Amino acid sequence: MDVGTRIECQWCKSQNPPGASTCATCGAPLNVRNLVSDSGWREAPRLRDMTEFRFGQSTCQVEGEIVPVAEITLAPGDWVYFEHHVMLWKDDSVPMSVMPLPGGVKRALAGMPFVISVAQGPGRIAFSRDASGELVVLPLLPGQEIDVREHAFLVASHSVGYSYVRIKGLKNILFGGQGMFMDRFVAGGQQGLLILHGYGNVFERTLGPGESILLEPGSFLYKDASVTMQVETQRLSTGLFGGTGMNLARMIGPGRVGIQSMYVHHHTEG
Amino acid sequence: MANYTCRWCRSQLDLGDQVTCPMCGAPVDVRAEVTRSGWCELPPIPDLARLQCGRSVCQIEGTFVPVADFNLAPGDGVYFAHHVLLWREDSVSLSPLPLRGALKRVFAGMPVVMTQAHGPGHVAFSHDSPGEVVALPLQPGMAVDVREHLFLVATLGVAYDWFQTGLWFQTADGDEQETHYPLGVYMDRFSAPREPGLLLLYAAGNAFVRDLGPGETLLIKPTALLYKDAGVRMQLHFERPAGTWRTWRTWGERYVWLRLHGPGRVAVHSAYGRFEDPGSNLVGSSPATSWSW
Repeated sequence: MDVGTRIECQWCKSQNPPGASTCATCGAPLNVRNLVSDSGWREAPRLRDMTEFRFGQSTCQVEGEIVPVAEITLAPGDWVYFEHHVMLWKDDSVPMSVMPLPGGVKRALAGMPFVISVAQGPGRIAFSRDASGELVVLPLLPGQEIDVREHAFLVASHSVGYSYVRIKGLKNILFGGQGMFMDRFVAGGQQGLLILHGYGNVFERTLGPGESILLEPGSFLYKDASVTMQVETQRLSTGLFGGTGMNLARMIGPGRVGIQSMYVHHHTEG
Repeated sequence: MANYTCRWCRSQLDLGDQVTCPMCGAPVDVRAEVTRSGWCELPPIPDLARLQCGRSVCQIEGTFVPVADFNLAPGDGVYFAHHVLLWREDSVSLSPLPLRGALKRVFAGMPVVMTQAHGPGHVAFSHDSPGEVVALPLQPGMAVDVREHLFLVATLGVAYDWFQTGLWFQTADGDEQETHYPLGVYMDRFSAPREPGLLLLYAAGNAFVRDLGPGETLLIKPTALLYKDAGVRMQLHFERPAGTWRTWRTWGERYVWLRLHGPGRVAVHSAYGRFEDPGSNLVGSSPATSWSW
């Protein structure tokens, strides 16, 4: 194939054959322009209904638009993992197991999922969340690390390593809106796939080294591991009644930051 | 020279090659969707449409839970209830907006603190449910009444006030009496006393608007009200369906409606919150009408 005719996906940077209308790696439409606001936020690509893309030997099809479903056809030998309450349906034949996790007691105390479920191919299994929003498909290149707000991850492929990072600083834990831990996903020796669900609309921007932006902590969805987070409190005094404080998370580059526009806290059961 | 009148905000504009109204963001290249009953459906503001407000610009981003992203010019500002702030740039400064009657507001569950943001720089706002941003450009002398908690953000030229709805009913259960406020104890009133301003509301679900003629009335569920012109009067209406016993104190024994009297513009939103009527004996109310089938 002539290199000059390949189409580069503007979302995941994968190369696609000429004439392709959606990215084979992340499902992003290739024939629509990027939606970037004047302030520099890029909207996550709107995945078309029934869009299909590949990871490993398996495929994922995105169905629906208000609360989209990620339906995965697992090839023999492939497997995916997820928090069990996001599973929508599965074929009878798909075997289920649980992933051993370090620090189970800490995770239980922190309100993080104590059990991560695993589904093994061959067969079909589908996932969805509990409110309207968008699927964010993040193919991870070997060595790439992404931190995700707890309970925001939908499903990941077996080649993506899963761990968690403790949020540093009491203020960040108490007022950061994310609890004590964030999920960390790392692609090891081969490319992997991570799918998140953001409530409402999802926006991403890339911060340069030392560049920062202040976020409502509840809107944080994901970031590159290189981006640091610090919670800052702004006091709004109203005299007699003392006033109130506003906590904002300062995200400092370099790296990508993703946010969700509907940042109501949804309780999830572990 | 004005060559276009926006059918949504009624601004008269020289549109040029723009495809959205620069005052309210309504698309100009779609036909009006009017239901057979006369409700005009608010056309969703197209993704990345820009609204001009003085020297500042507001860009609407997203479709499920849209974000209002203001690029504030130096000296320009907006105010908002602080829980709707999504992000801001360092250059945007925040300060509290003093409000009268703070103690009453605390008891009524209304925000005690409004926050102001001053330019230059970007600051963005969003709400917590799927719906639409409703842009209301206010010309000098205009005023609208907005149901509590639906206000998103307004430019500093828009004056903010609030008033008692005066709509209530009392129920008794044994010796206990309870007062209910189907529309809330207070409503917000926004006006443009001297200069034009921009008011953004957040409608849960879809938003619909209609004009009531003089003397025309309409019944809506109280919590579905989004905003109304200040001249539209309100009262409660109780309706008892056929087939229920008066003494059977269940939720289905009556319906509580809000009756709106024209003239003026009224707007409703489709994903309204449920008002909990305990169904106990009605022992008193603000001036209201009733009907039994």
